[in-house]
Amino acid sequence: MQPAIAAQGIGKGFRTGLWAPVKQVLRQVDLSVAPGAIFGVLGPNGAGKTTLISILATLLLPDTGQAKVLGLDVVREAARLKERINLAASGAHFLWCLTVEDSLRFYGRLYGLGGRPLYDKVEKLLDLFGLAEHRRVTFERLSTGLKQRLSLAKALINDPELLFLDEPTSGLDQEMAQHIREEILRLNRELGVTLLLTTHNLREAEMLCTEVGFLKEGRLISEGRIPELQKRLGLGDHLSLIFQDAPAPLDYGRLPGVLRHLVRDFRVDLVLDRADDRLPAILEAVYLSERKLAQVKVKPVDLEEIYREITH
Amino acid sequence: MKLPTSFYKIWAFSVRSALVNRRNIFAMVEMLFWPLIGVLSVGLLTRFLHLEGETVSFILIGAVTMNTVQIAQLDLSYALLYSVWSKSLKHEFIAPVRLAHILIGSGLVGLVRGLLVFMIMGGLSVYLFDMDLRRPGLEGLTCFLLGLFLNAAIIGALVLALVLRFGQRAEVAAWAFSYLMLLLCGLYYPISVLPREIQFLAQLIPLTYFLDYFRHFYGFPLVSRHPLLYGFSQSVVYLIISYGLVSLTLRSAYRRGVLLRLSD
Repeated sequence: MQPAIAAQGIGKGFRTGLWAPVKQVLRQVDLSVAPGAIFGVLGPNGAGKTTLISILATLLLPDTGQAKVLGLDVVREAARLKERINLAASGAHFLWCLTVEDSLRFYGRLYGLGGRPLYDKVEKLLDLFGLAEHRRVTFERLSTGLKQRLSLAKALINDPELLFLDEPTSGLDQEMAQHIREEILRLNRELGVTLLLTTHNLREAEMLCTEVGFLKEGRLISEGRIPELQKRLGLGDHLSLIFQDAPAPLDYGRLPGVLRHLVRDFRVDLVLDRADDRLPAILEAVYLSERKLAQVKVKPVDLEEIYREITH
Repeated sequence: MKLPTSFYKIWAFSVRSALVNRRNIFAMVEMLFWPLIGVLSVGLLTRFLHLEGETVSFILIGAVTMNTVQIAQLDLSYALLYSVWSKSLKHEFIAPVRLAHILIGSGLVGLVRGLLVFMIMGGLSVYLFDMDLRRPGLEGLTCFLLGLFLNAAIIGALVLALVLRFGQRAEVAAWAFSYLMLLLCGLYYPISVLPREIQFLAQLIPLTYFLDYFRHFYGFPLVSRHPLLYGFSQSVVYLIISYGLVSLTLRSAYRRGVLLRLSD
């Protein structure tokens, strides 16, 4: 199957002044995103996330490399591609004196919608994002949450097959951020929209993304499904066995699935490839040793750990 | 009937421009207050100087021209400035719109506003200062107005190019450009009073010829033998050049990340 995004050797640099040297923001980035995926581009501020998303969204020309989005070249076939993609960015900005309804109509017309189809589409989006009661409120009077909702509604005005989300929940309170995340998942599951999002919120990426890529200083240093990355980096779930007295006299390193282990006083910390699969066998071995357990703690590997491992 | 998608894209910019004007008190002031001040102050000055008949018309044509061109070019100049001020530029350019949609859509509103200003100022000139606007006839009036709007379009397109190159800093150019052009084209005086070197520059401005053409209906001799030919041909050439310039700066903006910087 053709990837939704296929980029090879993307490079981009900017000058900060007329005589200033070029500052390289992206270096030889290769990226492949499957159709229907939610791909998260992760990285610290200044890593090049927005630059990458902007190139793929036809808003910026790359210096080197080439990228195809939905099978169309982002430079040569940008006009056709623009019909099929859209973008929602953090800190939504629209014209201050246009109402919610005016804004949606304006952007709808930019995609060639008019008459009844435009009316129906705007009504549908107003309902979908709970904006109907705010339809006559001008943008400058909307709360941050409503602005962000409008931004997402605008991004769906052309029924995009691929949606770029640049820090979609940045600056929102927890409740609103969660609401937006649910919307994103719904778009992907119910409408089959492929999503590429940038975030530096690892929890968010963990919650939303089927695949992630890590950008550091303009390079995509690792990408893949989270379990694959975990395996590649030798990271695993954490299992802590806390004994009532001395720990069971076992050769923990030889137990099935154990990647690393540490014995301290009454406590044994194990790193397992898959805690769910290995736990019964380990607990059985402990039981057979006739040592009593006071507590068992399991902590799945998280993205933060992967991120730490990759970026340091 | 299904209209072509380009119609809706052009209409989008027209409606947006019209809504901004309608909801912005300053836009209304711009359209009504300044033209009113312009025609009154210039008209009263002619009374103070005891100018008569044709000379009054000569001066008033200058005042009407200045305000009409100023207002008509603003919507075009502001087409991108609205997006820059609201930081929404990237949302406009991620959509499948062409430069022509922006220029025509915003320009249409400029044309309507310019026409309104011309009617208001012309009406006041007729009512208060006895100017005879019927003298050039419908054909003369239409050619003159067309010339004014073509000049406004050239100024507007050049300002757009500056906005794409320099961002918000180009805002001042929206006014400066037209004032410079108006100074050189002999707005309140025949270009023969300008220094010889400047007269050459005046001949490179199409508005000079349209003013020359319109004023000859009021008894002033033609400076150029074929003012409409020169005026329209220069206008078309400049329009093509300025469109090309905007296209080039847009291309450069895509390369230099200006669209993103202006959206932050």
